[in-house]
Amino acid sequence: MSGGKIAFASGTLLALAGGWLAFPRVLYQTRLQPVDFSHKIHADKAGAKCEDCHAFRDDGTYAGIPTLDKCSGCHAAAMGTSAAEKNFMDQYVTPNREPQWLSYAQQPENVYFSHVSHVKLGRVKCERCHGNEEAGTSLRPYQRDPISGYSRDIWGRPVTRVGLRTEGGMKMDDCVDCHRRQGLEYSCLGCHK
Amino acid sequence: MTATRRNLLKFAGGGAAGALLTPAPWRLITDTALWSENWPGIPRPARGEIRERFTHCTLCPAGCAVRARCVSGQPVSLAGVKPHPLSNGGLCPWGIAGHHLPYHPARLRKGQAQEAMAAAARAIAEGASGEYAAVLDLRPGRTASWTHRRAMAALGNGLYLVPRQPAYSIDLAAARTVVSFGAPLFDGWGTPGNVFGARAHFRLIQIEPVETRTAALADMWLPIRPGTEAAIAAAIAGDLSVADAARLTGIEEEAIGAVWEAAQIGSTVVLAPEPGSPLMSLNERLGALGHTVVARREAPVPDAWKAAAPATEVVAAPDGAIRLLLIDESLPGGYVPWSVIEPKLAANATVIVFSSTAAGYARHAQYTLPAPVYPEAAEDIGPAIDTVAAVFRIAAPLGAPAVPVVNPAEFVAQIAGLPRGDALRERADSIHKTGRGRLLSYRDRMSTLTRELTAEDFWRTLNQGGCWLEEGGQKMAPPGLGAPPAGPAPHGDLPLAVVIVESNRGGLASPLMSKLERESSLRMAANRVVLSPADAQSGGIEDGGRCVLETACGGMDAWATIDPGVPAGVVEVAGGPRMADLCGSSFRARVVRA
Repeated sequence: MSGGKIAFASGTLLALAGGWLAFPRVLYQTRLQPVDFSHKIHADKAGAKCEDCHAFRDDGTYAGIPTLDKCSGCHAAAMGTSAAEKNFMDQYVTPNREPQWLSYAQQPENVYFSHVSHVKLGRVKCERCHGNEEAGTSLRPYQRDPISGYSRDIWGRPVTRVGLRTEGGMKMDDCVDCHRRQGLEYSCLGCHK
Repeated sequence: MTATRRNLLKFAGGGAAGALLTPAPWRLITDTALWSENWPGIPRPARGEIRERFTHCTLCPAGCAVRARCVSGQPVSLAGVKPHPLSNGGLCPWGIAGHHLPYHPARLRKGQAQEAMAAAARAIAEGASGEYAAVLDLRPGRTASWTHRRAMAALGNGLYLVPRQPAYSIDLAAARTVVSFGAPLFDGWGTPGNVFGARAHFRLIQIEPVETRTAALADMWLPIRPGTEAAIAAAIAGDLSVADAARLTGIEEEAIGAVWEAAQIGSTVVLAPEPGSPLMSLNERLGALGHTVVARREAPVPDAWKAAAPATEVVAAPDGAIRLLLIDESLPGGYVPWSVIEPKLAANATVIVFSSTAAGYARHAQYTLPAPVYPEAAEDIGPAIDTVAAVFRIAAPLGAPAVPVVNPAEFVAQIAGLPRGDALRERADSIHKTGRGRLLSYRDRMSTLTRELTAEDFWRTLNQGGCWLEEGGQKMAPPGLGAPPAGPAPHGDLPLAVVIVESNRGGLASPLMSKLERESSLRMAANRVVLSPADAQSGGIEDGGRCVLETACGGMDAWATIDPGVPAGVVEVAGGPRMADLCGSSFRARVVRA
């Protein structure tokens, strides 16, 4: 093989490796959640259901991530001996400081998504989009695309699109796919008001 | 393999080719597109508590009731209030998009308030005997107007100037036949909800040369020759035979006869586009005064205010005598052509304008001060042309001003040395003191007699979205409506009648409206004229070509559109301050090739 062909092939291989292997790793910024929260412990030991903390308001709007008031309802005093709970009590409950949770599911401003119509009317299970968070013993790191500013959960997970689940997820493709299968695909303006 | 320049280029070429087979470049393209949507300065939807608030629209004298959906204290959508006795739940497209105005890119954002105040004080101090300070109020009838009047009275040599105002109201609910000489009944004439609410009960005869939106919705449209309205009016009054009117106007005798018959039935009202039009005198001949055309009623004011300066039409002001002119253009209203104002100014006059835009009188002023826009300012709204009841309603602000603003009434009061006070509250108290009328509360849809409310409750309800009304009582005939119309005036070398097909109330309009209307040509732009093929051919003007619209007052570069639907002898234009300045008192023009 001539030197020129080797140089071309080397460049190609290097770019392929960088694009497929390194790029997805360097694209996202990773940040830890403020509290090492375990959905599993709350579900198993406290018997909590999703809607106990992630509730709907009286007017039907979705409250999203619970505020400190909700947590303090049970954790006014420490209920266990774990380091995570002690940290939570010291850092947030005692000084009455709101944890700055990082939302995996925060959609862009141009997306109109109604939880109540999906959960109450469409009877869509939480895990259908959010995955089986209930089984998690700790919160996974929050990954953010610094260019678009979006969470990895709603924008390109995984970036290679290899192994993409056909069900679940919170990207537009996931929404379109589900709506298409339900025969509910009407127009762009259904979600982009 | 040796490291030659050629190999290096091949390596780079291979890298580029390989990169195209990875997700990296494609992902970076989409990410960059998203990044560009998130640049600083791009507005973001508000998040937070959702509340409902009520106010009134001040964009035109109709003052429609408004229900605002506010997120985190910021209005995000506006709608009408139904049921409502005046606005009937209606809100026009400008009103619906009114909450965009504080952020309008063309809004005036700064002004030299201190310097303007000093210049005003200097002009008053240095004014010679026989020279005046004056306020020109484009929206008379407000509480702020009373402040202007009181300030001018306090100065001693003050004049309170207004555009020509109707001294009457039109009771559309009592009308069975409406004869409109080009009044844009369905396009910004009165209160939209009231007009459309009454529409089922009257027959509309629209008389004008071109088929405007109102003409298209009329029961009968009479496309008369331009400038022959007086002949039709004379035929309706019985002063001209139907045959002669038909000959002069180009309308068939049967059609004119049908109008004459409809007008004789009773409950008829004649409308004209301008409040001072001689055509309005036809109402007197048809017995409409005190029935469908009634005296304008105003909400009570404190007794102490009644020594205020009287309202004077600009044309009646002495020539060359105004040393200081303050123009309150904060709310869109009537526009007086600059050619009428200019002769009234002294040689070294100071002109200060309060406006939200540089498009109006700011073009002629030494100082232009940014005024609050709807829905930033607490204002009241006088009665509309089609409001028969006495009314008092407050446009409660839905947010703080987005830019530093100067309140015109406060500025004028300060110049005149009036004591500081809350004029709106004083007026509300004086209305409450009379114990007359009733108060509508939009929040709970209650109607309560004024005498059953405390002054505090009355004031609070007005500020939370409420409207004081005094209905009923004997209808009074308005003062005389002037002399009957004369024949068409000679027009010299200006062969075309200027017909305003696009009513432009001045002031700012939502950029969204501009996007929908101007760029899609749904409404006519200010620099466009529309001609008949015959007139275009005689002037050598091409469709889409440049031309000059020339009037007795000057000329304007424009783009021409040729429309076979426009009758010969007519040039269609969009209204607004610029066109008012250009036409002055004579709506005649010629269009020449640029």
